[in-house]
Amino acid sequence: MGMTEKDLRVRYKNTVFGFLWVIINPLMQMIVIGFVFRFFIKEPIANYYLYLLVGLLVWNFFSLSLSKATPSIVNERNLIKKAKFQREVIPLSIILSNFTHLLVAFAILLIPIILSGLFSIFKIPTLLIAIVLLFVFTSGLSLLTSALNVRFRDVSFFVQAILIVWFYATPVVYSIFVIPHNLIWIWRLNPMTSIIQLFQNALVSAPAPGPAMLLSNVSITILIAFFGIWTFKKESKNFDDWV
Amino acid sequence: MTIGFNMKNNKDIAITLTNVSKKYLIHHEKPTLMERLIKRENEEYLALQKINIKIRTGERVGIVGLNGSGKTTLLKIISGISAPTTGRVKTIGKVVSLIDLAAGFHTDLTGLQNIYLNGMLLGMSKSEIKNKLEDIISFADIGRFIDTPLFTYSQGMQLRLGFSIAVYSDPDILIIDENIESGDQNFQVKSFKKISELIKKNKTVVFASHRMDLIRKMVTRVIWIDKSKIIADGPVKKVVSMYETQ
Repeated sequence: MGMTEKDLRVRYKNTVFGFLWVIINPLMQMIVIGFVFRFFIKEPIANYYLYLLVGLLVWNFFSLSLSKATPSIVNERNLIKKAKFQREVIPLSIILSNFTHLLVAFAILLIPIILSGLFSIFKIPTLLIAIVLLFVFTSGLSLLTSALNVRFRDVSFFVQAILIVWFYATPVVYSIFVIPHNLIWIWRLNPMTSIIQLFQNALVSAPAPGPAMLLSNVSITILIAFFGIWTFKKESKNFDDWV
Repeated sequence: MTIGFNMKNNKDIAITLTNVSKKYLIHHEKPTLMERLIKRENEEYLALQKINIKIRTGERVGIVGLNGSGKTTLLKIISGISAPTTGRVKTIGKVVSLIDLAAGFHTDLTGLQNIYLNGMLLGMSKSEIKNKLEDIISFADIGRFIDTPLFTYSQGMQLRLGFSIAVYSDPDILIIDENIESGDQNFQVKSFKKISELIKKNKTVVFASHRMDLIRKMVTRVIWIDKSKIIADGPVKKVVSMYETQ
């Protein structure tokens, strides 16, 4: 927790706006993407701007966490050389600090969602499941990439490159229904599909992910989480040799 | 020559190293995943070979040896910063290392925030740090700079702060590397006084140094390491005279 606090403090040390950036950034993205994509999308999505904003907030959390957590062990080599402690703290503290941002942003976002009558209490379980899945997937993957990045410094470049493609392979700006059926397996392999869909379903009443999609996405999430924890545990013994 | 100690009660052992070896891979440049997939060759370097050490609670042990003999690797392994390639390490109680005193600081945070960050890394709770805050600051002699970011600190100030946090974190086992001698005269006197205080409280101390006068003053037992192996392990007088006449 101390590390999370440190991360928050350092990040906003010199910004006057502070937490406001959490919401302003995705708002700008929403306006730009929303404006452009209106011309391309044939079947309009209901409440498109809110739909976009929910997806962008979740995606930004994921991509920012992953791209900052991946080089974190190398960046904090200073701490590694200091003492014996659970090395998981380093990437997880970044995710936790982004997570508090996400919660703040959602709290603000809830106002227009409730005002437009899209929210109901019965959606809260869906929302909670979505949050847990998002957290587990982001943490598992970040543990994996941050551990590998200690030995192989190009992992963080891979992550940066993949995130750009990944964004378009996730239904943030479009709806899954525009995907041709013979290509749907790509989205089945991408756990972010269900996670984003669950959020969109809970907050703006977009269609929920189908059972096949949910099952395959959740299985991959669990698989990656275990693989990430296992790799991190194995590699963390020798972090000091490599940083 | 190794002098075996009579160990009837295993509870008295603070540090046990069994058959510890440490292998480093020599990497000339930063390794990349691409390279690794293409060629799989590794150059290895054995920093420690089959080290067996037992240190009792309250014992003060000096480590001597030339540069590159494996002293720092040994200290890192005892303090848990690095893991041995083979063999086992067991320590009882809280281990605090003074290997890299400036490590664990964040230059953008103030001295105060760094005390909290560092203290928590060393296993102190927030309230514990709060209680000891005044002691830590006054011992480090930081004064009114405590609220300024760490990048404004001099090397000496960072060193003092690092040392102060470490000794006030109430360690059971204190690991000290030679760099402690890099502070000014005044601070050296002060820090050795503090270490002597800890010794009186029956804390275990492992101390690596090139300075035989300090070794003679501080420890009772010396382990001499050369080329990653233990050459001698015994009472300070005996081993130091062996080491000096080598």
